[in-house]
Amino acid sequence: MRTAKSAVKPDPISGALAADRLGAPSVVYFVLSAAAPLTVVAGVVTTAYAITEITGLPIAFLVVGVVLAVFAVGYVAMARRMANAGAFYTYVARGLGRPAGIAAAWMALIAYNALQVGLYGAFGAATTPLIERWFGVTPPWWVVSLIAWALVAALGVMRVDLNGRLLAVLLTAEVAVILLFDFADLINPAPSGFSMETLAPGALFTDGVGALLVIATLGFVGFESSVVFSEESREPRRTVPLATYSAVAIIACLYALSSWAMTVATGPADIVATAQRDQADTIFLLAQQHLGATVVDIARVLFATSVFAAMISFHNTTARYFFALGRERVLPAAFGRTRARSGAPKTGSIAQSVLGLAVIVVYAVLGLDPLVHLFFYGGSFGGFGVLLLIFVTSIAVIAFFLREPSGETLGRRLIAPVPAAIALAVMVWLALDNFATLLGVPEGDPLAWLLPAVYGVAAVVGVIWALVLRAGQPAVYSLVGMGAKAAAAQDTV
Amino acid sequence: MHLQGIALGLAGALIAELVLAQRVAVRGVRLGVVDVQGLQDRVADKVLSEIRNSPQHTDVRTWLAYLAQRSIADVSGRLGASGLLQRQTPKVLKRKQPRYFSTDFSRAMWPATRLRLSLVRCEPLSPQDMALATLMDACDLTDTVLDDPADRRVARQYLTTLMAAMPPPLRDLSRQVRAAVGDAVLTYRI
Repeated sequence: MRTAKSAVKPDPISGALAADRLGAPSVVYFVLSAAAPLTVVAGVVTTAYAITEITGLPIAFLVVGVVLAVFAVGYVAMARRMANAGAFYTYVARGLGRPAGIAAAWMALIAYNALQVGLYGAFGAATTPLIERWFGVTPPWWVVSLIAWALVAALGVMRVDLNGRLLAVLLTAEVAVILLFDFADLINPAPSGFSMETLAPGALFTDGVGALLVIATLGFVGFESSVVFSEESREPRRTVPLATYSAVAIIACLYALSSWAMTVATGPADIVATAQRDQADTIFLLAQQHLGATVVDIARVLFATSVFAAMISFHNTTARYFFALGRERVLPAAFGRTRARSGAPKTGSIAQSVLGLAVIVVYAVLGLDPLVHLFFYGGSFGGFGVLLLIFVTSIAVIAFFLREPSGETLGRRLIAPVPAAIALAVMVWLALDNFATLLGVPEGDPLAWLLPAVYGVAAVVGVIWALVLRAGQPAVYSLVGMGAKAAAAQDTV
Repeated sequence: MHLQGIALGLAGALIAELVLAQRVAVRGVRLGVVDVQGLQDRVADKVLSEIRNSPQHTDVRTWLAYLAQRSIADVSGRLGASGLLQRQTPKVLKRKQPRYFSTDFSRAMWPATRLRLSLVRCEPLSPQDMALATLMDACDLTDTVLDDPADRRVARQYLTTLMAAMPPPLRDLSRQVRAAVGDAVLTYRI
């Protein structure tokens, strides 16, 4: 019908707008470049083996991938009805009420900031071997991180376009290098033999599995941003779901394969000791034995660019969270303004940078380990926060569709979201239970309850803040979750 | 200047022209043609005829997105045709965006100066200037026009008052522009 009609009289307006719209492959590229695969494989996976001392990560990636794919069914369906589709808190506000929404917003700000700041720790680890090799000096990690910080801060406010095509080339190269390394690992198994042990479901039935689930979730962070492009995609009902499922599937397979391949190369029994010794160098040293120094040098450069791209991506995500909340006036209005010259959300960008600087300085002064205490703790803490957000969002999706079926199928409203919510609840519970393993600290260490408690406090403060707004500024309260569209929705107040 | 914000602001201004001339009505998120008579201006008449010829598109946001694709070229072309702007062809480096220079500096600066003075002194504004002031604020140019930070607080308060007092079609249009500029930040592709 539609094609017949448009064949008779082409619609110039729709045609002109469609030219600028995104197809599924572009959306997948945007999502994956935020996910920064080499950062995860070289940095997160190896450090996770070293710190948790358990080896079920490959199967954990697959399991979490399945859970997130099922979660995504309801998530992308609800996204089509969201004013600010990119942010979890708007789903929570619509599904579970505005107090829960603001609580989720606070949690999200903490989680994304932690993820971004944590990357400064990885950048030192990623670049120091290169600097040593090229210039023969070994600067302290914080010098390198401060340089990266200054670049991110400047690029964030100036919003210089990191060329999309350059990012796509870097991403493709990253994935190619990862696959090449995996291949080399798999055809050169350890003397103990070719082992599928870490891919077997049995690997999950171990103490500390909650830690693996958080780390695996951390690997997927960024998949949620596919829905940002709902309004800019060619066919929102098709493009965004297709892109989301594809991104989740690609991430799950790539990370499961890579984390498994490492254990094949070292032997499952030796991966923990190897990762503890070589840290973020693990995959490069493994590859060096078979692929030669040039390939490994290229890979190291790509590791550094990958971390850098991830820093910028998380910086922008965080700045946009501040911006959306500023536009809603949940945060001061200054957060909702952009810089005229660049259109960057300047206040949010500056706030994020100030936090990053403070953290780098504190870590440098206290002499903490950048890879373990900054990158891995930041990543674990942030990853746990994102897991919490996904869980709360999964409940919000069910609640929303119970109230407003909106013509969606039963599968999208209940059959997929309910099992996803149950699985996510189990994951959150296991994560809380195994937080000490996640951080590699002894059972009963205060950190293991202090860090998760931060989100609890943030949630309580968020709810109180919401109630204050409701009493004092009902107009602002009614706009929670509208994002930038809050500006247009004031009439309804 | 940030191009996407400016493009959306100018797209809003093109619609505002038609609203002020009572050719187009904006109500809430929708717009429609109320009078098809041309304005004897090539750019404005083209927009008017497009809106008239596509009655299936009534969303203000759709028109903002559509017009933003060419609003900078259209408006600078019109200013160039009336001799107020001169286009400078890049010589050395190939720039993506052409640069423009005003031929009459005082005339080019007057609207911004006028707005700044009126906003700081909280003077009554003509409907045209109300539209201009709120559109300027919608694309976050307030800090640029009010270069003295001390003036900004008063001006922002007055802008809020203006928004409440101005004709509803222009107010709704400004809000839609502000939302479009904000969404452009949130869906920025990196």
